[in-house]
Amino acid sequence: MSGAVTDTVDRITSRRDPRFEVTLYAYVGVEGAHTLDAYLERGGYDAARRALAMEPGEVVDLVKASGLRGRGGAGFPAGVKWSFMPPPDGRDRYVVCNADESEPGSCKDRYLMEDDPHQLIEGMMIAGHAIQATTGVIYVRGEYHHAYERLRAAMEEARARGILGRGVLGTDVDFDLILHRGAGAYICGEETALMNSFEGLRANPRLKPPFPAQAGVYGRPTTINNVTTLASVVHVVAKGADWFAAMGTDDSKGIHHAQVSGAVARPGVFEVPLGITYREIIHDLAGGPVGPAKAFIPGGTSCPLLPFDDAHLDLPMEYAAMANAGTMMGTGGVIVIPQDQCIVDAMYNVVRFYAHESCGKCTPCREGVATWLPKMYQKLLAGLGTPEDVDLIEDMVKNLRGTAFCPLADAAAWPVQKSLELFRDEYEYLAHHGTPMYPAKDRWSA
Amino acid sequence: MIELQTARPFFEDKPELLQEILGRYPDYGRRSALMPLLWEVQRAERYVSEARIAEIADILDLTATEVRGVMSFYSTYHGEPVGRYHLQVCATLSCKLAGADQLTDYLEDTLGLVPGETDAEGRFSLQKVECLGSCTTAPVLQVNDTYYERVGRADVDALLAAMKEDVLPEPARVRAGDNERYGPAAPAGEEDA
Ligand SMILES: Cc1cc2nc3c(=O)[nH]c(=O)nc-3n(C[C@H](O)[C@H](O)[C@H](O)COP(=O)(O)O)c2cc1C
Ligand code: FES
Repeated sequence: MSGAVTDTVDRITSRRDPRFEVTLYAYVGVEGAHTLDAYLERGGYDAARRALAMEPGEVVDLVKASGLRGRGGAGFPAGVKWSFMPPPDGRDRYVVCNADESEPGSCKDRYLMEDDPHQLIEGMMIAGHAIQATTGVIYVRGEYHHAYERLRAAMEEARARGILGRGVLGTDVDFDLILHRGAGAYICGEETALMNSFEGLRANPRLKPPFPAQAGVYGRPTTINNVTTLASVVHVVAKGADWFAAMGTDDSKGIHHAQVSGAVARPGVFEVPLGITYREIIHDLAGGPVGPAKAFIPGGTSCPLLPFDDAHLDLPMEYAAMANAGTMMGTGGVIVIPQDQCIVDAMYNVVRFYAHESCGKCTPCREGVATWLPKMYQKLLAGLGTPEDVDLIEDMVKNLRGTAFCPLADAAAWPVQKSLELFRDEYEYLAHHGTPMYPAKDRWSA
Repeated sequence: MIELQTARPFFEDKPELLQEILGRYPDYGRRSALMPLLWEVQRAERYVSEARIAEIADILDLTATEVRGVMSFYSTYHGEPVGRYHLQVCATLSCKLAGADQLTDYLEDTLGLVPGETDAEGRFSLQKVECLGSCTTAPVLQVNDTYYERVGRADVDALLAAMKEDVLPEPARVRAGDNERYGPAAPAGEEDA
């Protein structure tokens, strides 16, 4: 792609690299860092000033050159998405921030919004200028009360100082934000469902095309990005596309956040250069597994599990390597599954989540994900299953793949399919014996 | 549900709040105010009654059925009052691996409630919920708007004891990983500044 930075010889792909510096998360966990004064003191809104002095198209090109891809899960190149916006035609245009963060295993956006809300606001201003939108919408999941309050306070501070509103930062550009609260529905994270929800409708996904750039919020041209994508833009503008592209791999550039949970010694959110191995994330950053582990989920529960072995731990955190391994990098939510955890029980937990969150719009998902899949698992776990039931589950998830209206059904079906591939013995043991290979145990340590 | 009292309209004495909410959205997007209006009622009254549904429908020029249709899609709005302390235990995978099943059992035993129930006093409701976006500080217990992270047995005991005295303690707001922080609790009252 023209303008893309290629052939950087020595990219940063490890936290051990002395050139790596925590950037987006530098002020997460720091008392008092969320106020406007604190933000301005550390150079806040300088990047927005710089971006506003550029032509919108230049900002788009800069983000394209950085190689930044969407951090909401799908990994679509951010600058390319921005370039899909039609030329201004007098209608209102919107930039929307997807802050619905509900993919199990993910919590990177919440800490950013709670502890550094101005970083997100600045990212939205820059994105707004790039796509020539004068209104931004932040759709925060309803449970994130603290993040909502912090953002609301930050917006008020910014308005009071002319950072949001008419003629932002003394320019002739107008930009303001609408903060909107969700109400407990995972499907609102799907971008078109989010737009319906924002409009006060039930959050069913919309048919695409038209894509949001053509007809998004209220049918107006819209660009939607994840919180972390937008926060990354601030630093791409501040430090340059080369700085960003010097981290990661050819396929996946820049920084991401490994959110490690499950059976590890030090669960937590760690900012990492892409291309880092899962071994470094799990062993070095998160302190290694507590007891033997048998699998890990690389990017949130919609990503199929990988065996906890040397070959897979040495894989780099990047979109392509994960796709080749039959899974996804997703949101970066890494969940480590201990050896003594019944995999059928663990997968039932995942299935139950997607069953609960299915919106009921399309038949494959409503009947397959929301109804029959959990029932089959309940039968197995109650000790009433047969080996044919295991085959039936496999058959069902194969039929579900790619047949539903939106990717939610795949998010349930694909991990189930992979768990059968890797741990079929556990399913069959349960079907034969009526009891799991690994009985439930008390995991509440404290 | 049968409405015995003829309720005074909720927004009657809150014109500024109503205007502020309606004013957030463009004229052509008035319906966007639906969820915020439902939220205000839910938060104040711990459920959204039929009378409130009708009132909100009136404000937005919708039918009560349209409002009910949206309300029933989301898990935050309740048709029956929840307790003053609405205990929501995350039951999803990371929390399960950190003991959410046992945490739920413990709450059930201690409160004498099963998920979905409210006690006779209307003090506690217990509910199992899905991933709260706090997986690295599992297990998580949300009480009303507040997250309590990495809760152990002693934390639960202390929390329940405080709530019996009508106190909702400040949470520790754990940060795990980069810039690890396990407390102290943020100063009280900072929240709604
Ligand atoms: C079922 C479903 C749930 C999703 N949930 C989220 C979410 O919670 N947060 C998010 O940023 N993206 C989520 N996405 C992805 C969004 O649809 C969209 O791709 C993303 O917000 C685009 O931003 P990005 O390009 O910056 O990643 C979800 C997608 C699907 C299909
Ligand atoms: S699984 Fe409980 S907060 Fe994510």
